[in-house]
Amino acid sequence: MTLILTFTSIALIVGVLAFGIAMNGRILASVIVTILGLVWLVLHLRGINRFSRFMFAIFVLISLICVWVEIPPSFALAGITLSLTAWDLSTFGQRLAMTDSPSDARQSENAHLLRLFLVLGLGVSGYIAATLFEVNLTFGAAALLALLGIWGISSLVYRLRSCE
Amino acid sequence: MSRIALLAAVIYLIILAGVGTLNGAMVGLALPLVLYLLAGLWRGPESLNLTAHRTLSAERISPGSTVTIEITVTNHGEALEQILLRDQLPPFLEVIEGASSRLVSLPARETISWSYTVQGRRGSHTFTHLEALAEDRFGLLTKKTLLPTTGSLLILPSLVRARHIAIRPRQTRVYSGMIPAHQGGTGIEFFGLREFQPGDSPHHINWRVSARQGSTLYSNEYQQERVADVGIILDGRRRVNEFGGGRSIFESSVVAAVAVSSALLGEGNRVGLFINGKRPKWTSPGYGKYQRERIMQDLALAEVGDSHDFKSLIIPRRLFPPNSQIILISPLSADDIPVLSQMRARGYQLLVISPDPVSFEARGLGGRPSLQLAVRIARLQREVLLRDMRHVGVQVVNWDVAVPFEQVARAALSRPSSFLHAIQRGVRS
Repeated sequence: MTLILTFTSIALIVGVLAFGIAMNGRILASVIVTILGLVWLVLHLRGINRFSRFMFAIFVLISLICVWVEIPPSFALAGITLSLTAWDLSTFGQRLAMTDSPSDARQSENAHLLRLFLVLGLGVSGYIAATLFEVNLTFGAAALLALLGIWGISSLVYRLRSCE
Repeated sequence: MSRIALLAAVIYLIILAGVGTLNGAMVGLALPLVLYLLAGLWRGPESLNLTAHRTLSAERISPGSTVTIEITVTNHGEALEQILLRDQLPPFLEVIEGASSRLVSLPARETISWSYTVQGRRGSHTFTHLEALAEDRFGLLTKKTLLPTTGSLLILPSLVRARHIAIRPRQTRVYSGMIPAHQGGTGIEFFGLREFQPGDSPHHINWRVSARQGSTLYSNEYQQERVADVGIILDGRRRVNEFGGGRSIFESSVVAAVAVSSALLGEGNRVGLFINGKRPKWTSPGYGKYQRERIMQDLALAEVGDSHDFKSLIIPRRLFPPNSQIILISPLSADDIPVLSQMRARGYQLLVISPDPVSFEARGLGGRPSLQLAVRIARLQREVLLRDMRHVGVQVVNWDVAVPFEQVARAALSRPSSFLHAIQRGVRS
């Protein structure tokens, strides 16, 4: 199940982003995205999972560029969400491969997928809700809020990593 | 870069890009990632406080037998969302039932127990720990520890019985046994005649000779049978034991060593063992069942290696006394002749049991017609090698490992080599 979902996610990322970019008239970029997606797919098929983190970062970057070149943000949202899904599932697949108990694997898989889809569903819903509100901020206020967010995340990550 | 750091970096990138381009939609794209990060960190493991206990249904088994390993892990700390408990097994063990690793969630102060069954080849393993890898559901925070456990498993080599190994060392020990001692005395086999001495049994008087000689009585003298010192050398050099495709003839050598040592110890001899393998291993000579157990344990651990060659081999006289019997179990190579000649010169009686590497390799490569000539040349080279060894006084038994060792032992080792030569059998099996 995890494997199928990983492949499906990668295929969907490629489809969604390539389609969005092609709609914007950038055929060459669309082809490059397709090739990158195929590379990820082939690497995953061959069991080379250590590149999935790079592919995740690359596809997030591509999604940001899509927003920047004024492709509708829904394509970028789909790209980021699906990249996150593919990256998460490829790592989880490695963990599942370490156990030789099928019942444990099934239970863990069900629990993991449930939580993942719940979190992603909340994230997408939150994004959609956020786009419904319109708040005008000055650059200074926006930068201040961004710095506050970065500080919050940084301190959280630092605290947890120091525990680790 | 860890997963959490990468995720944080991506979130920063999105926020900074959104602020830099004054694009609120872009900043919003970070939301699913931030929620994912927070959900992962929400119930991540902080510390591991676990204990593990292991029990084995048997600690000493023969190849093919099964052992059930039961593991109990108790969580004395906080609840763990997801924990991978993995028992790392050596390559010679195979799980045939159950699972050696579990991926579970372990609530606080809960205990989990499971068992699995293994089967394996010859070898030994000490279970020192159980690996525990705890993480949050998304694998962002990971904590790894090794839980100490006890337990060891010894899989002894396959036991092959050889009834009798006929050896004729130049020197024997004082205790009575099965090996002709080249000395007159009490025994079974006729040794010679001597004048009757007071105390001789009347049954031993040779009446025919006494009648011929007139007034003097003559008694039959029988060959004394004693125990002997036997040193077994098992050749574990990689270059002579291993072939293409990871195939090794070493297991056959181990089988032969088990059979020979068991037979000789069973007849009361003092047997020592030297394994020239991954690590040179001496088993000092001894008698009886205790010594058999020591030898079996050392043979269970024997592995091929490439650290030592026979040229540098020094045999301690304390372990293998001069004039004693040495049994070398080796596929042999051409450069072994000088070493074996030296051993002969020091007075050792030398018997070589040589698993045939040519037949073994030829079978592994299949019956391709293109190989026939190569096999024939290799076989001729080996015949020359074995002939040269016989010329320096070494008794050689060429063993095609497709034939069971019991059969070879019965045909070529159950009688003295001189007898087998006389009836044209055995030594060239």
